[in-house]
Amino acid sequence: MPENNTFDAIVVGSGISGGWAAKELTEKGLKVLMLERGKNIEHIKDYKNTSKEIWDFPHRNGVTQKMREDYPVLRRDYPLRESMVDDNWSPWANEKDNPYTETKRFDWYRAYLVGGRSLLWGRQSYRFNKWDFEANAKEGIAIDWPVRYDDIAPWYSYVEKFAGIQGTKEGLEVLPDGEFLPGMEMNCAEKYVATKIKEHYNGKRHMFIGRSANITQPKPEQNRVNCQYRDRCWYGCPFGASFSSNSATLPVAMKTGNLTLEPGKIVTRLIYDKDKKRASGVEVIDAETNKTYEYKAKIIFLCASTFNSTWILMNSATDVWPDGLGSSSGELGHNIMDHHFRVGAGGIVEGFSDKYFYGKRPTGIYVPRFRNVYEDKRNYLRGFGYQGGAWRGRGLDIPEFTIGAELKNALSVPAKDWRIGLLAFGEMLPYHENKITLNRNKKDKWGLPVLDFDVEIKENEHKMRKDMADDAAEMLVNAGVKEVESYDNGYSVGMGIHEMGTARMGRDPKTSVLNSNNQVWDAANVFVTDGSFMTSASCVNPSLTYMAFTARAADFAVKELKKGNL
Amino acid sequence: MKRRELLKTIALVTGGTVIGGELFLSGCKTGLKTEAGFTPQLIALLDEVGETIIPATDTPGAKAVQIGAFMKLWVTDCYTQEEQDAFMKGIKDLNSACKKLNGKEFMDCDAHQRHDFLVSLEKEAKAHDKKIEEDEKSKREMAKQEQKEFIGAPLHYYTMIKQMTLFGFFTSKTGATETLRHVQVPGKYDGAFPYTQGEKAWASSL
Repeated sequence: MPENNTFDAIVVGSGISGGWAAKELTEKGLKVLMLERGKNIEHIKDYKNTSKEIWDFPHRNGVTQKMREDYPVLRRDYPLRESMVDDNWSPWANEKDNPYTETKRFDWYRAYLVGGRSLLWGRQSYRFNKWDFEANAKEGIAIDWPVRYDDIAPWYSYVEKFAGIQGTKEGLEVLPDGEFLPGMEMNCAEKYVATKIKEHYNGKRHMFIGRSANITQPKPEQNRVNCQYRDRCWYGCPFGASFSSNSATLPVAMKTGNLTLEPGKIVTRLIYDKDKKRASGVEVIDAETNKTYEYKAKIIFLCASTFNSTWILMNSATDVWPDGLGSSSGELGHNIMDHHFRVGAGGIVEGFSDKYFYGKRPTGIYVPRFRNVYEDKRNYLRGFGYQGGAWRGRGLDIPEFTIGAELKNALSVPAKDWRIGLLAFGEMLPYHENKITLNRNKKDKWGLPVLDFDVEIKENEHKMRKDMADDAAEMLVNAGVKEVESYDNGYSVGMGIHEMGTARMGRDPKTSVLNSNNQVWDAANVFVTDGSFMTSASCVNPSLTYMAFTARAADFAVKELKKGNL
Repeated sequence: MKRRELLKTIALVTGGTVIGGELFLSGCKTGLKTEAGFTPQLIALLDEVGETIIPATDTPGAKAVQIGAFMKLWVTDCYTQEEQDAFMKGIKDLNSACKKLNGKEFMDCDAHQRHDFLVSLEKEAKAHDKKIEEDEKSKREMAKQEQKEFIGAPLHYYTMIKQMTLFGFFTSKTGATETLRHVQVPGKYDGAFPYTQGEKAWASSL
């Protein structure tokens, strides 16, 4: 508990968006309080599993029945593993303390700790293109973005330079280039397939290294050194090569002397002054002691993660609006989006048996969207991109019923050939009826109402999935890949861990929760800059866009403060 | 290669999905009863069965990594109760089946007899598992369609032993660093690293 309870700004949440908000606001001289509901994680010191090996874990990083019981959501997909939920490193939220309800299945992967999911993200970093910001208006879907690519482009540059994004310039309108550190190398099989794709599609389809927030040029001013190719970013990077709040934005904010970090504090609501139409502060509950506190500030940045920021809004100003601050639009909690995926194709790349790999690259390849761009027209809206890569696995050329030395030897060498896989990530449209609501009949550990999810993908996404599988297979076949097989492993909303929407920005307070500067229409000193603000989803990974909008909103907020408007 | 990739490899080698390795629904189960069933004699037997599947060559084998004790831990902690029961019930048949073929119990057999017996057992196991797979095909497909978890009937106990032997061995320190290769901090990436046939593969990472 800080001695003083009044600050210039309060930032709720310490993930990617919160880290950026804290960095920008403290660097501009504001005294900032950052509230994080989870425990503290100190950079390097608390990355206790980062140098462990698979044999250090009794179940070899497997999944026990106890783990399955403790993590009924996490176990639905790959994130559940021994090394991520043990006493040394357990970034995922405790599901028993933090329940939610599902009118329809929704997979919500939460990380409650300082750094949030910036410690767990895939680090893929792509700019939205100009069409992404225009598509809603052109197609009559939902509402128009109040922002265009040219408005946000300088902020993309600004955040890229600091975060450190490795990648290659490709000169494509569909996936704008950024400020890149030297790109990581594609491997021999990927280079081969990339060349073949370019040839076959006359330079209209592309495959290149996945752009990611892993540095390939040291940043001594940030104490960050180059990626060491361990591919263990999920355990916290002791080299600071992987971008996280902990490795990058929070140290800078701390250095200013302007940041007070308070972990273990759950924000329960904004304190709303209906006469001034401003939030005067926040009410928090201490996760350990259950005591409540109030903190005051001139401005508040909600960066608590897509659904949790909206949850705070829903619990705020209920004396004025029963459904919470921002609900006057009728859109608070609505228009949930994710990227639908788990569909693609793979096959064998022959001819590289004399090549192997050294090191574990923390990124794959990327194939930018080609559907519904330029003259291409499909029977659905928007499109998808592919992530993936080529690898050479272990030996499988084993005659049936072989055991003993022969089996051991066969499994001890690489497979004869490389394999390649393409995994599609598709844009999901914002549907008003896809929503979260407060479920007051169920309470979390602190007696707070939980969220209920009612979300599904619809016809547009289902139609797109057919192309997502077929196009991957077709491209690989045309690139000379052998034994190509496509797949659709099914998808539940949330699995993409790219949740967006529920407090969208727009041009009209009647149809949007936020204005073009991420300000809540009904409380101009409250800014929401995590995934909640997204008006549409594009098909590219969203985190870089949260960074850019957060930095932009922080800049705007400080200017407005100085002008006396806030 | 990631652990998931290793699990896929093992699944391909042994047929079926690696039990406990991927997504399975659990009840609230305890492994206490099963744990008690893992007598020192049983662990010694599993060590020898494991050693027959992955023997010491120019590098240590499954016995050296205490594969029997690993199986005890894995069955007890990671299998569902039904799978645990199937394992414990199945393993009881091993010696009588071995007697039928070789005229003596497994521990009394020489290396050749052990090998031949396990190959015959593997044939039985594959047929058993194939039938389960076919029987459950439509149920599995439906579960996938509905995005629901699905637990099939337990696989043959020999399949379980083989899966655990391969997984436990190649994720052990000696398996990963002597039979396979492992570099803790590569420091660089080379996607066209020269390879001469016979050189070891990289071990699975976390």
